[in-house]
Amino acid sequence: MGEIRVVLQSLKMSIHTRMQYRVDSLVATLAVFIRESANIIAIYLALLKFDRINDWNVNEMLFLYSILFLTYAFVVSLFADLRQFSDTIREGRFDRLLVRPRSLLLQLILNNADLIASAGHGTLGLLLFVISAGRVGIHWDFVTVLYYIGAIIGGILIQGGMFIVFSSLCFYFVETGSIRDIFYWNMRKFAGYPISIYHKLIQGILIYVVPFAFVNYFPAQYLLRKEDMANYPAIYIYIAPFVGIIVYAAAYLFWRVSVRRYYSTGN
Amino acid sequence: MENIIAVGDIKKYYRIAKRGKGMIASLKYLFNRSYEIKKAVDAVSFSIKRGEIVGFIGPNGAGKSTTIKILSGILYPDAGDVKIKGYIPYKQRKQYVKHIGVVFGQKTQLNWDLPLIESFELMKFIYRIPQEKYEKNLSLFSKLLEMEDFINQPVRQLSLGQRMRGDIVAALLHSPEIVFLDEPTIGLDVVAKEKIREFIRYINEKEQTTILFTTHDMQDIEKVCDRLIIIDKGKKIYDGSIDQIKNKYANSKTIEILLENDEKETQTFDISVTPMNTVMENLFAQKNIKDISICEPEIDGIIRDIYEGRLVLDDPAAEAD
Repeated sequence: MGEIRVVLQSLKMSIHTRMQYRVDSLVATLAVFIRESANIIAIYLALLKFDRINDWNVNEMLFLYSILFLTYAFVVSLFADLRQFSDTIREGRFDRLLVRPRSLLLQLILNNADLIASAGHGTLGLLLFVISAGRVGIHWDFVTVLYYIGAIIGGILIQGGMFIVFSSLCFYFVETGSIRDIFYWNMRKFAGYPISIYHKLIQGILIYVVPFAFVNYFPAQYLLRKEDMANYPAIYIYIAPFVGIIVYAAAYLFWRVSVRRYYSTGN
Repeated sequence: MENIIAVGDIKKYYRIAKRGKGMIASLKYLFNRSYEIKKAVDAVSFSIKRGEIVGFIGPNGAGKSTTIKILSGILYPDAGDVKIKGYIPYKQRKQYVKHIGVVFGQKTQLNWDLPLIESFELMKFIYRIPQEKYEKNLSLFSKLLEMEDFINQPVRQLSLGQRMRGDIVAALLHSPEIVFLDEPTIGLDVVAKEKIREFIRYINEKEQTTILFTTHDMQDIEKVCDRLIIIDKGKKIYDGSIDQIKNKYANSKTIEILLENDEKETQTFDISVTPMNTVMENLFAQKNIKDISICEPEIDGIIRDIYEGRLVLDDPAAEAD
């Protein structure tokens, strides 16, 4: 119970902070929306020419992409403080958390939540979902809805786990921004397309190293059943929602071990 | 009374990578670093009884902040042990930190964009402070620190003194038994400093709160502390009362003389070398004096002499009772 109240207060403070700059928040949300839409427009233009990519049509592609946006909308607020974690350490804000009688991650969750990015990604994700979900032949019943929700939660946990791992690395190296950029942002760009179009190495990375494939590709496969799924073990589409729990748990353990290395910036 | 804080021979060394100048040295730095050991805290021991207020001073880089961080559980010492209220701070972090309050004067824990009250609310949930106690403490503290006027203003609009008062309240709302204040008066004006001192004394008297605080302002020490610990280059060089240090090391007296022709003169004597009797005889014999005043040495001056190496203290081992 107490944990929830801490997190809710963090959320409330993030909302109040944004409310102070209403116009700015609105404009910034729009900017995020437009920036992210550029990727979608690129896909759309490509498909005007090719019609299908590895047998995926435009609506299926949009559906695949919508999962990325929807999950990220949650991740970017829940784990906002982990995005620039090296700054948190460098500025001594981490010391603050250590002298409070609470789990460190609990204090970070929803702290300085990036509600603008959430609104931008969330709106775009919802829009793409609404456009595509009815046109890709998914029979929405209790099981598929449940699976879909599970997959979204799993996707949030997978990406949250990645953020935790990148933040943990800050305890070993002061600056880890470039590792994060390579592994998170570049891989996320790959995940916008069906992974079967890539070289085996990239596929391997997307499945086993930074498991974006379990965020959107395998869940989408459960619902769409495209032919390129034959390249992968069928079990992957069923375990997708649980991969999140495993990744998050492993990331949490790595974080626990890494925090012990923290020796502070010394003032 | 029993010792609430016991610090035994703690050491903390930092490894600092040595970096040469020029291209070749930079390249070498990439592959083969040599390190320098900096002894931030070098075998410091002390103990503090419940309800004591102890001033913890030393020049910049003496190891004060590192020591405070070890005591608050933020850093592991490389050697030695710390026992505070039965806990080992850096090993039992979550249970231990309920009992302490920490203020880092140079780093705020308040949310910059929001009114103070919202940061206080967060503390209420983080420390599980019962609503009744929270309201009682908040109204008492804001009255004592005269915060009613600005408690609903965004922190970014507050003056440094107001912000510092907010930080102190945020650290004390849960009525901690032990409080570490790391430069709580840094950069404040005389009035703000005085308010904070009064407040510190108040919670100490009222709640028997044990307080360790670092400062560079000797007025803080004289007005608030019973006891003084001085560290320098990671070692403890003094531990005792303020009067003791004054009596023991303050042999130099400054005499201000107003001459018949209204000219002023000051002279400083070491009374262990020249007794006051001789000083006065010489003065009266040599000059036409209208008025004379003898200045007691300021603790400031003594401390300055210690920092600059002009005054060498006794062996600290002998000093620590």
